[in-house]
Amino acid sequence: MSTFENFFRLSITSLLRDRLLYLLLSLAFLVLLLIPLFSMFSLRQVQELSVTLSLSALSLLLLVVAVLTGASSLWRDVEKRYTASVLGLPVSRGALVVGKFLAIATLLAAIAALFGLGSVLAIKVAAASYPADIPVRWDVFAAAVCFEYLKNVMLLSLAFLFSAVSTSFYFPFLASFAIYLAGSASQDVFEMLSGSYGQALLPSSRALIKGIYYLLPNFSAFDLKTQAIYALPLSPGTLVLTCIYFVCYTGLALSVAVWSFSRRELA
Amino acid sequence: MIGRIVCALFLCGYLAVIVPFTTAVAHRPLAVKLGTMPSPEVLRPLSGGNRQFIAQYAVVKVLFYYGTLVEKFREKIYLKPEYENMFDTLQTAAKLDPWNSDVYYFTQAAFTWELRRIDEVNRLLEFGMRYRTWDYQLPFFLGFNNAYFRKDYAAAAPYFEKAAKLSHDPLMVNLSARYFSESGQNEMALRFIEFMQRRTTDRKMIALYEIRKQALIGALTVQKGAEEYRRRFGTPPARVSDLVAKGVLKSIPRDPYGGEYYLDEKGVVRSTSKFARPSTPPQQKGGVPSRRMD
Repeated sequence: MSTFENFFRLSITSLLRDRLLYLLLSLAFLVLLLIPLFSMFSLRQVQELSVTLSLSALSLLLLVVAVLTGASSLWRDVEKRYTASVLGLPVSRGALVVGKFLAIATLLAAIAALFGLGSVLAIKVAAASYPADIPVRWDVFAAAVCFEYLKNVMLLSLAFLFSAVSTSFYFPFLASFAIYLAGSASQDVFEMLSGSYGQALLPSSRALIKGIYYLLPNFSAFDLKTQAIYALPLSPGTLVLTCIYFVCYTGLALSVAVWSFSRRELA
Repeated sequence: MIGRIVCALFLCGYLAVIVPFTTAVAHRPLAVKLGTMPSPEVLRPLSGGNRQFIAQYAVVKVLFYYGTLVEKFREKIYLKPEYENMFDTLQTAAKLDPWNSDVYYFTQAAFTWELRRIDEVNRLLEFGMRYRTWDYQLPFFLGFNNAYFRKDYAAAAPYFEKAAKLSHDPLMVNLSARYFSESGQNEMALRFIEFMQRRTTDRKMIALYEIRKQALIGALTVQKGAEEYRRRFGTPPARVSDLVAKGVLKSIPRDPYGGEYYLDEKGVVRSTSKFARPSTPPQQKGGVPSRRMD
């Protein structure tokens, strides 16, 4: 078994022992049970509201797990001096970072799949109580769940990057959360700049904001909630571009995280 | 020991305060319960990609607030509704999630009959039609508003045509035809209310429609009585009371809005309540929606 596989398996075991994860999963299960009930708050789009609640709850769950585990995993290993003992052996720091990253990404995938399946049941129950005008497009719903997962894996790579350079838990945690908010809003800001509001700004300010826009992750491209809720068609071209963007951005962030962690003084 | 005493004191204090505290919070002014929403420009970036959820939250908030007003009305307690705040909240919801049908459905239900803010409602419905391209109800509402409230049958026609095409529902075709013939306004309104009532899950909204339905059934009963009177005696009745005096009706129906039915100069049945709740002062009717939907 390779060093990388060892790190991966050990990280998975460590994650599954985390009690916080069980608390979060219990809450998620409770939310799933309540979705059909809460959907009745809608006047006449009960099914649509159940899809909205399912996707929003999944989004929040993945965000909490990605930020908490991403921000704490490397920091905890350094704090507990686990890295000091392990990295004394002939193993690479890159394998440690990538192994841990993939372990959390696998955990996120399992959560997304489980919650997605639970959501299907909750939506079916809600939809049975009130006939909807439009049927659920399950393929679009599945795509929305997948892209929500990809979005959080991208965020996870940034949490790892911050964790790799930080000596405390708070910086990667808060920075990841801030990046999540900024990355969700960046497209709106960019589009606003392209309109009449942007013309009123100084060219240097516009250039600076555009620079920040290209630096930040663009999470809005991964948001397929509207399409899933209202059974709107997807644009395959945009989805392919988004996937390529995901691979490039995540790979880049993870590479910088590995590079930073490899050069970090851990003594 | 001291620790136990302190803990017991806190527990006693909590038990003493919990009932009055809960009562005080439950009896906050209705306006406080509705609150105010930040603008959609602020909410969009803060929503973290969950703007559909926030839009629905805004609608539910308005719905709860309005539902409480309806409940109070049924208990004969008349409160002045915060229509402007409600409309602003719904506009915010529409800008956050233009596909949300509850926004348009509720706006149609609450802002046409009570306040006759037909232009504002129609603007919101037009905005919704750009997104909900499959939904026959928005053109149906627009057609109804133009025909029933505006009496502009030419403007209503294309909307009904669109609604009929989208729904393939004979009701739409029937309604369009009857609107174009400009007859049976109360019956049309009654059918519309029944249509709306069948398509909601909210009990308070169903109750609201029930009140309006009873008012329209009363008007329709008087109208049919007046037609019977004309057939029997050759002349239209001068007053609604003539229908009872001549034995055409056993009694005059009760207007649930507290008004009295009367016949206008054209012989059309109307009510002194104008089928609106007495909480709505005339000057308030002009003070609603300000923001435009672009």
